[in-house]
Amino acid sequence: MKETRLGEFEEVILLLVGILDDDAYAFKIAEEFESQTARSVSIGAVHSTLNRLSEKGFLNSEMGASSPERGGRRKRIYKITALGHRVLTEAKDFRVSLWNQFPGLANG
Amino acid sequence: MVKNNNTPPKLAERLLLCFLREELAEEVLGDLDEKFYGLAANGSTWQARRNYWYQVLHYLRPFAIKSISSKTRNIMLINHLKIGFRSIKSSKAFSIINISGLALGLASFLFIMLWVNDELQMDAFHSKSNQLFNVYQTVEEQSGNLTGSFETPLGNAGAILLDSAESEIPEVKMVNHYATGYELPWGFPKTFRLGEKLFKLSGSRASANFFEMFDYPIIAGSKQAAIKDISSIAISRKMALMFFDSPEEAIGKTLNYENNLDFQVQAVFEDVPQHSSLEFDYVINIENQILRKVEWASHKIITTYLLAEGANPDEVSRKLSAYLSNRVDENSGNKVSIGLQPFKDQYLVSGFDNGKPANGKMAYVKLFIAVAIFILIVACINFMNLSTARSVKKGKEVAVRKVVGSSKSLLVQQFLSEFLLMTLMAFALAVLIVFSLLPAFNQFTGKQIELPLTELWFWGSLLLLAFMTSFAAGAYPSFFLSALIPARILKGTVRFSKRSRLFQKGLVVFQFCLSIMLLISTVVFTWQTNYIRNSNLGYDKENLIYVRIEGDLNPKYDLLRKRLNSMPGIALVDRSSEAPHAMNFETADPINWEGKQEGHVVSFKPVSVGFDFTKIMDLQVVEGRAFDRNIASDSNAFMINEIALKEMGIKDPIGKWISAWEKKGHIVGVLKDFHTHSFKQKIKPLVVDVKEDLYFGEVIVRTEPGKTKEALASMEQVLGEINPDYPFSYKFLDAEYMKLYKSEETVSNLCNLFAGLAIIISCLGLLGLSMFSAQQRTKEMGIRKVLGADAGHILSKFSIQFLVLVAIAFLITVPLAWILMNDWLQGFAYRIDLSWWIFALVGLVILGITILTVSFQSFKLARINPARTLRLE
Repeated sequence: MKETRLGEFEEVILLLVGILDDDAYAFKIAEEFESQTARSVSIGAVHSTLNRLSEKGFLNSEMGASSPERGGRRKRIYKITALGHRVLTEAKDFRVSLWNQFPGLANG
Repeated sequence: MVKNNNTPPKLAERLLLCFLREELAEEVLGDLDEKFYGLAANGSTWQARRNYWYQVLHYLRPFAIKSISSKTRNIMLINHLKIGFRSIKSSKAFSIINISGLALGLASFLFIMLWVNDELQMDAFHSKSNQLFNVYQTVEEQSGNLTGSFETPLGNAGAILLDSAESEIPEVKMVNHYATGYELPWGFPKTFRLGEKLFKLSGSRASANFFEMFDYPIIAGSKQAAIKDISSIAISRKMALMFFDSPEEAIGKTLNYENNLDFQVQAVFEDVPQHSSLEFDYVINIENQILRKVEWASHKIITTYLLAEGANPDEVSRKLSAYLSNRVDENSGNKVSIGLQPFKDQYLVSGFDNGKPANGKMAYVKLFIAVAIFILIVACINFMNLSTARSVKKGKEVAVRKVVGSSKSLLVQQFLSEFLLMTLMAFALAVLIVFSLLPAFNQFTGKQIELPLTELWFWGSLLLLAFMTSFAAGAYPSFFLSALIPARILKGTVRFSKRSRLFQKGLVVFQFCLSIMLLISTVVFTWQTNYIRNSNLGYDKENLIYVRIEGDLNPKYDLLRKRLNSMPGIALVDRSSEAPHAMNFETADPINWEGKQEGHVVSFKPVSVGFDFTKIMDLQVVEGRAFDRNIASDSNAFMINEIALKEMGIKDPIGKWISAWEKKGHIVGVLKDFHTHSFKQKIKPLVVDVKEDLYFGEVIVRTEPGKTKEALASMEQVLGEINPDYPFSYKFLDAEYMKLYKSEETVSNLCNLFAGLAIIISCLGLLGLSMFSAQQRTKEMGIRKVLGADAGHILSKFSIQFLVLVAIAFLITVPLAWILMNDWLQGFAYRIDLSWWIFALVGLVILGITILTVSFQSFKLARINPARTLRLE
């Protein structure tokens, strides 16, 4: 059976795919990751994660349009699946529930 | 054309495409380009290019890499191995030659490396080994001559090196000094007694902290107390068990030393391991030497420092030299500086060159590493040549494979795996050989080497070696075979291109160059060793037995001499202050003589002997006469040797006076030069006098030829009467003399062995090559025969090609070997002359072996029946 849990990096990438919407392909996601987190990442690492998320069924992908700065090559656009959405929501709920139990906040 | 830097690096792109899955190529290349042009737009093309590489390398991830189905791979490998096995089996003779040749080479390589490894292990077992340094001094004489010595100088300078170094130089954490004897590493055997138990054991004196600096583990008693004062002694497990039931029981007990002093056992240490260059069974405090005169001071004092971790020995030696020069008032005008040698080097580097430690056994270690590599190369070349030659047979197979669509890389894989298979078989065989012959090898070299079978590094390096060998040996034939053009092969037979034939011949020549080099070196080496062993020493070393003067042997010498002379088997008795083959003591103490020039210094070896010395040693007197017991004044007389006469610069020496050590007398005779020590050194000036009271040295007994047994029995009886407190122990002079050349002997034996092996391996190669050449030329020879050539003609026609190669190798090697050997011989004071006939002899031997090897095939060729070989034409 395929692993269905979501790692931290995976979660961020999944969110970025959602944020970028129609522009969600490996290079763009890597750029967005770097600018939002100020952490550097290689395209290969992002691509690898996208691939894994697809295998888990959280993402779909199809080939998109080409552009001249890509040497006329097409890009692979990723989209979040319904399962992906559910996993993201679960992850968020889980965090919120944890934060609610956190003494400093729950009673504050 | 200007190179356009504004595109992504082509090489990186190509690399990416090598491993990237094809279906990912478009998107990934697109992404990378976008990244590249984005960065390039910001101005830094160089950074963009660098980043491109970075991105490419980060695509080395499982998901992105082309998958090679492991299943097909396994099948391929099994297939390769199967085919490999079949092909090895299909030509048995060839495979046996090839595999056994390589196995022999590898076994030799392993043997040599085990030996070298063992030599390098010497003294490395001390845990602080990297911080231990021996002090040596370099003396610059007024003449500018530099001499070095490990001996700690006596007097002022020595006291500073020993005592103040620790307090004055912060890097010096601990100082130890110990005495080493001239003859044995650690002194002459001494007699210990406990009740009725009497044993002779050798040991040394050292500073109290000896066991803290060096790792000789204490198994009973305490490290600190071991030799803390002059009445303490530390003994080995072996020695403890000689006197007591267990090491623990020994602690606190008293042993009597030389019938003189009592020592209390404070510690028992584990027997000294074989990788220790210091060998001893007991250690006593070095103060004994000064305070209690336990021994005549014929010992070198060696000083060893323990430096702080990370201290720079060069800096410490500079500080020491500076410190010393400020405090030592030397009138001699010689400049003394101090150096430090790593303690663990002392075994291999024991000589001096230009005042710095150099020479010693290190030369042999280097020599043998070279020999090991030589042999491995020879074996690899063999393998290469034979395999290439065999492609005659393989050609068709290759062609067919190619025609049915096998790729070049697949063929290379196939051949490489076949070679790997052969190499592995050779390795297995080699390990087997080494394993089974190791005991013999140990006996041969006097070592106790064990195969490190449990060590991972051993197997690791073995495997690495196997892969390297199979690649080195198999690469050329594999590529050669895979590059054959099928159309041509299928048309006729394989024809080697001129270039590859030349290459092959070159390899044979090179291989023989190495073998001939080894052979010549071995012959010269053996010759020199034999020369040393059998040369006329100037005295007769046979039938001489000597016994150390100890106990009552000196005071009762006259009685001893009379008693012995009347016993069976004994021809003559005399004494000498030093053993005749090892007169090592040398002095520059001023010796005066009649007619001596002011400031003329000659360094003499002084020897004190009995009246019959000349007779017992069978020395020749060239001028004057020998000492005579019946001439009263002869107790003050001197004799000198020819070299001394020359260096003293006097004429008509007989009757001239000499004064030495408060003794003045006349020269009564001049001795013909004889070798007083190892043949490696030049004969030194000798001054001989008669001493009536010789409390150290040796009693020398000449036995009647063939009556050694009776003589020994007589000696045991007489010595037991006269000197009952000391066990009877004796040495044969000729045997002791041989010990001086033990390392040369071993090296010479090893050289013989390995040169022989190299020749055998080379010949195996030649045999294989001639086999294939014969196969190739069967038809040609058949035609020759049909046309009327006789067997002799065919024989010579065939053999000559190989003889030419070997002859070329010989001609190339001889001048080189001549230069190298001449250089090596310069290191000996007495040496053989290189003469042309040594080389001629080697040439003849090589020629003979070549003819023998090749003729086997030639005869086969000459005897063939042309009707059969030409049938198919």
